[in-house]
Amino acid sequence: MDIFSNLWLGASTAFMPMNLFYGFIGCLLGTAIGVLPGLGPTATIAMLLPITFGLPPESALIMLAGIFYGAQYGGSTTAILINLPGESSSVVTAIDGYQMARNGRAGAALATAALGSFFAGTVATILLAVAAPPLAAVALNFGPAEYFSLMVLGLVASVALASGSLLKAFAMIVFGLILGTVGTDVESGTPRYVFDIPELYDGLNFVAVSMGIFGICEILRNLESEHERSVGVKRVTGLMLTRQDIKRIIAPVLRGTALGSFLGVLPGGGAMLASFASYAMEKRISPNRAEFGKGAIEGVAAPESANNAGAQTSFIPMLTLGIPGNPVMALMVGAMIIQGITPGPNVISDEPALFWGMIVSMWSGNLMLVILNLPLIGLWVKMLTVPYHLLFPAIIGFCCIGAYSINNSVFDVFVMAGFSVIGFALSKMRFEPAPLLLGFILGPMLEENLRRAMLISQGDPSIFVRSPLSLSLLIFAVVVLALVLSPSISRKREEAFTE
Amino acid sequence: MRQSAGRILRPAGMTFTREYHAMLKIRNSRDFVGGVTMICVGLLFIWFGQELEVGNSFQMGPGYFPTMLSLLLMAIGALIVVQSLMVDAEAGDPETWNWKAYFLVILGPIGFGLALAGLGLAPTMLLLIVGVATASRYANWRHSILLGLFLAACSVLLFTKLLSLPVSAFGPWIPFIGDLF
Repeated sequence: MDIFSNLWLGASTAFMPMNLFYGFIGCLLGTAIGVLPGLGPTATIAMLLPITFGLPPESALIMLAGIFYGAQYGGSTTAILINLPGESSSVVTAIDGYQMARNGRAGAALATAALGSFFAGTVATILLAVAAPPLAAVALNFGPAEYFSLMVLGLVASVALASGSLLKAFAMIVFGLILGTVGTDVESGTPRYVFDIPELYDGLNFVAVSMGIFGICEILRNLESEHERSVGVKRVTGLMLTRQDIKRIIAPVLRGTALGSFLGVLPGGGAMLASFASYAMEKRISPNRAEFGKGAIEGVAAPESANNAGAQTSFIPMLTLGIPGNPVMALMVGAMIIQGITPGPNVISDEPALFWGMIVSMWSGNLMLVILNLPLIGLWVKMLTVPYHLLFPAIIGFCCIGAYSINNSVFDVFVMAGFSVIGFALSKMRFEPAPLLLGFILGPMLEENLRRAMLISQGDPSIFVRSPLSLSLLIFAVVVLALVLSPSISRKREEAFTE
Repeated sequence: MRQSAGRILRPAGMTFTREYHAMLKIRNSRDFVGGVTMICVGLLFIWFGQELEVGNSFQMGPGYFPTMLSLLLMAIGALIVVQSLMVDAEAGDPETWNWKAYFLVILGPIGFGLALAGLGLAPTMLLLIVGVATASRYANWRHSILLGLFLAACSVLLFTKLLSLPVSAFGPWIPFIGDLF
């Protein structure tokens, strides 16, 4: 079988001592930032991107991926132990997980979260290995029109699945797309919006932009309502699950994995949506639904499997189509570009070691996380005692030097500072920053494909509906939009997000 | 807040203010400002991109895509404004503002950028950390300075020694120590 030789290639890459080491570092860092509220994977990956420039591409991407799914593990630990979700994707885990901890079952909750995540991670990895090559093969036949339609669908869907006002999310996408046009126009060589600043001829640096709107901006928000954390945690005992526990979690884990894997592939989806949706579903169909909110083990198993599955399958569109579905994937695309790899369907055939190595590393990383997390829980909880007034200056320091090291120029530090102001102003007006980053990353690709398609068709926009593939992608985008705008769904959507 | 302020300011019996009020009643001031901001952003990009050749849909010039997007952004902004006049704002948490923190956290990186070449990495880092730490109401000088020294040493070790960034630990503004490194 072809897939086995591919996985073998992946294993030989992922289990190279250096890659194992960077994978381990990624998981460790990911868990740490997952535990710490106020520092998410997006900001961390943006901060660490410059450091990975010197690494080989495999090691760099394996480490960055480790940070992302490691954060899913870390976030649940604090959610269960002290009712403080470290990540948005573990918010629902806190509901029943913390109740379990209060009932003296913290160990069981943590074990459920870890095992559910591991199972989901394994399934999602297999799914990625099986689904990615055929998807990429389809995408290889994509012309500019299909690519354009695909990106439109991606952007529309990412708005539909985001929380908050739709109009505002659209505004952010368009704003991001416009920001993406800053710099030299690839087709004509004309500089756009550069104001005679030489550093701007290459465009705004996305690392600096994302550090500004995610890293620094988050600090500004956190400082508004700063309060000391008091951490009182009892000793965690009894990590073993009883036979009855195992019986109760099997179905929720399977359902969570399935739902999470599906939602992760969708643009705009990923870990957070997956965990919310699977908790809501479980609450409706579980035979023990009366226990929900009072420490039902299903309420931990389902969302924790779902968020890990979603985190992992969100790599599928990024790796096969080169289209990021969430900000973290947008940063991964950026990391690939920096490493000299063109993201898209060619990655699998051009860089098989990188592609399969990453996939296998996700599985080995998940294994590491299970082994790493359960015994080290005491250490992670200790990390919470690091007060925020020591944490945030360090984050700012790292952001500054990280921004500087992108091009060894202080200009990017100023870009970062500027975008922290922009991001903060936008967040005060309740505009979400995530669609902006997606638009910013996709902008140049969208424009290039639009222009190429229109050149091929000699200015006839019907090219987008003449190709059946492009047409069906656009129809799908319209359907998604119509669904979200329809009153009954939008009401449900609001319910889902407030829950 | 806006509405109550309007009520206080409106002198009784002046009909034109009542008409004005009925016509332009902002129900969601945050969205109103947001929509207007988006319109302004669109206008700014059109203004600064007027030199760019727009072309036509067949031969798109460099200005085509940004101009279209700016127009789209203005349209969305207008819709947000309309919505803010028709739909009431949902009751949310009251906004808290911490101007001291904004000021310090945003000026910190700018100061870092300005001072880096002259002071060198170590002193700039120390100043940055101590400076931004004061944004927290729980910060104390001893902790901040210790943290700053620690991070300055770490960043010199990691970035100038290991990753060999082209920035010295101590810059030309600090001649004597700078010569030692």
